Amino acid sequence: MTRIEFWQGNTACAEGALAAGCNFFGGYPITPSTEVAEIMAAKMPKKGGVFIQMEDEIAGIASIIGASWTGARSMTATSGPGFSLMMENIGYAAMTETPCMIVNVQRGGPSTGQPTMGAQGDMMQVRFGSQGDYAIIALCPANVQEMYELTARAFNLADQYRVPVFLMADEIVGHMREKIIIPDSMPQIPRRPLVKGTLPFKAGADLVPGFPQFGKGYGVHVTGLTHDERGYPAATNPQLHEALVRRLVDKIENARHAIADFDIINPDAEQVFIAYGAPVRTVQQVMHDHPDKNIGFLRLRTVWPFPEFALREFKNVKRFLMPELNLGQMAREVERHVRVPVVSIQKLGGELTTPTELVAALEAPL
Amino acid sequence: MKLAIDETRCKGCNLCTKVCPYKIFKEGKKPNRRGIVVPELDRPERCTNCRLQHLYGRTLCGVCQLTCPDQAIDWIEEKPYELKKVAIEY
Amino acid sequence: MSFDDWYRQDRLPHIYCAGCGNGTIINCTLAAVDQMGWKKDDTVFVSGIGCSSRAPGYIVTDSLHTTHGRAIAFATGVKLANPDLHVIVFTGDGDLAAIGGNHFIHGCRRNIDLTVVCMNNQIYGMTGGQGSPTTPKGCLSSTTPAGCAEMPFDLCELAIAAGANYVSRWTSYHVKELEKAVKVGLETPGFSFIEALVQCPTAFGRRNKFRQVADHVEYLRAHSLLKAKSDRLLAEGKPIPEDMFVVGELARRNRPALGVKP
Repeated sequence: MTRIEFWQGNTACAEGALAAGCNFFGGYPITPSTEVAEIMAAKMPKKGGVFIQMEDEIAGIASIIGASWTGARSMTATSGPGFSLMMENIGYAAMTETPCMIVNVQRGGPSTGQPTMGAQGDMMQVRFGSQGDYAIIALCPANVQEMYELTARAFNLADQYRVPVFLMADEIVGHMREKIIIPDSMPQIPRRPLVKGTLPFKAGADLVPGFPQFGKGYGVHVTGLTHDERGYPAATNPQLHEALVRRLVDKIENARHAIADFDIINPDAEQVFIAYGAPVRTVQQVMHDHPDKNIGFLRLRTVWPFPEFALREFKNVKRFLMPELNLGQMAREVERHVRVPVVSIQKLGGELTTPTELVAALEAPL
Repeated sequence: MKLAIDETRCKGCNLCTKVCPYKIFKEGKKPNRRGIVVPELDRPERCTNCRLQHLYGRTLCGVCQLTCPDQAIDWIEEKPYELKKVAIEY
Repeated sequence: MSFDDWYRQDRLPHIYCAGCGNGTIINCTLAAVDQMGWKKDDTVFVSGIGCSSRAPGYIVTDSLHTTHGRAIAFATGVKLANPDLHVIVFTGDGDLAAIGGNHFIHGCRRNIDLTVVCMNNQIYGMTGGQGSPTTPKGCLSSTTPAGCAEMPFDLCELAIAAGANYVSRWTSYHVKELEKAVKVGLETPGFSFIEALVQCPTAFGRRNKFRQVADHVEYLRAHSLLKAKSDRLLAEGKPIPEDMFVVGELARRNRPALGVKP
């Protein structure tokens, strides 16, 4: 039976993970994501899962990658500085195609910055933070309900595409209390196991190989070195490296239509807001306050891979307006795909963009 | 059982020549096709393990095999002794 | 079945230089694993980065070759998520003591049920012979051209102080002893740490007057002081020679362990 709760975003994230069958949490406390770990510590052992507080974020993500290879649905939660520490192992997870789930409750940066204030400054880092070319999936919740649902979906995406999946929340959503309707159960899409006798890193048409779980007799060698389809290191083979890296990127980019999750409101409008995360709430307020203005809205829940095809739905658009809690990180990505001007409405400092600021941007001459 | 060095694996470090209590392994003299001087075996039938492994059902000594960093030393099964007809010419 | 059955025959010969002691340590570890009677399906080898860490790639079981220094953290995840698996970590001195020092002491503190075999060649071999945290004082390396000025780590003392259940040190000369030590480590619940001093003829020996592999192995043999003898010297109030290192079983205790199969 569905039930209604009044929860904080971080609580919803932890509960959503448990509902999605998460059974391993390895992490390190960092404001403003600590509540996720606290709830996991209390509830995970009761569900037969494992909670471990590691010695740092590097070990946190290392432990969840290790756990994932034994078949666990594993996750960690962190914020900016910890996220930076995790970068090397995120690249490792991408290279070895390890399904795992990383929550980043973003705070003001750079460095220690503003531990208790919200920001969206890690949107480029999540995509390009580790060295080399790779692709990941990043989801952005804008309310407590989405914290729950997107967390649960992240596990399915991770298992389906064998990739690290990120829940790029921010402090505002993470610490906000709101009504949440909890569904009976969350759909769980299990990992596709590797067919015995086939090569562990040989992919089919979907470019995602089956998962050779540890302890099941596959005898797989997993390495972060460039590897061939057997999993053996072949770091000096140029063709092999290119084919591998292209496959890692293509398996996500080719599937972006299936991964994408967004809402399109008023596709005929001339002025269109694009928002993800907390600024979505400001845009909603503006649209609520000004029903007379024909405002279009592209509300993104998946930010990476970027659903550029959604931009083409706005046929009459004269200008995109993009409120973000950073200096226009995703606005740059939008600019790559459109020929009309993209106005980046930037806000730093930890406070949410106000409706007044958005209305001012809307009323500025074209 | 017969002691044998796998020439495709041996890298010629000569550690085996130091550890065998019977000094069966001797430093080689000629480089092989890969340019590696593989040790030679001096009367390998003296090896305890060759003679007694089957009797005891376990590896005896075996230090050369454990020490060999390149996994090149092993005991291979020999064909059982067969009587052969020898034509003796007078 | 012998330890040779645990190798991926299609990947041999391995990449180690001629005379490198790492192969010997893998032999001893696999011989111990083989004696335990474990199945290949439920044994996992984990490693970080470096010469030593290439080892799992040559072993037929499931194996995880991870990022530099993080092997114990990855292994912690594997072991806790599935305590039925036997997890063995191969690591080197740079991997374990420098970049992975924090994970090492916390692994010991948690006393998680892993067996860690450290191939201590006292140098960074794979990158070409830079000084490591265990390079002895005065030894030459490419980053200590005038002799290492820093004091080295005693990894075993570190493991004991941090709380590991089983700690022993041997060298690549002591193959039988090492095999037994690894076996005891595998049998012991909790964190078992086995340090194996190995020769590195290419990066260490070349610069430190061990022109021949055998010279270095002979040095390791001659400078290892058995634990019993060292205890005797201490009891008699005699000094332990500075260039000697103690070998043998240095700690064996029964602290509560994490990740042991219930």
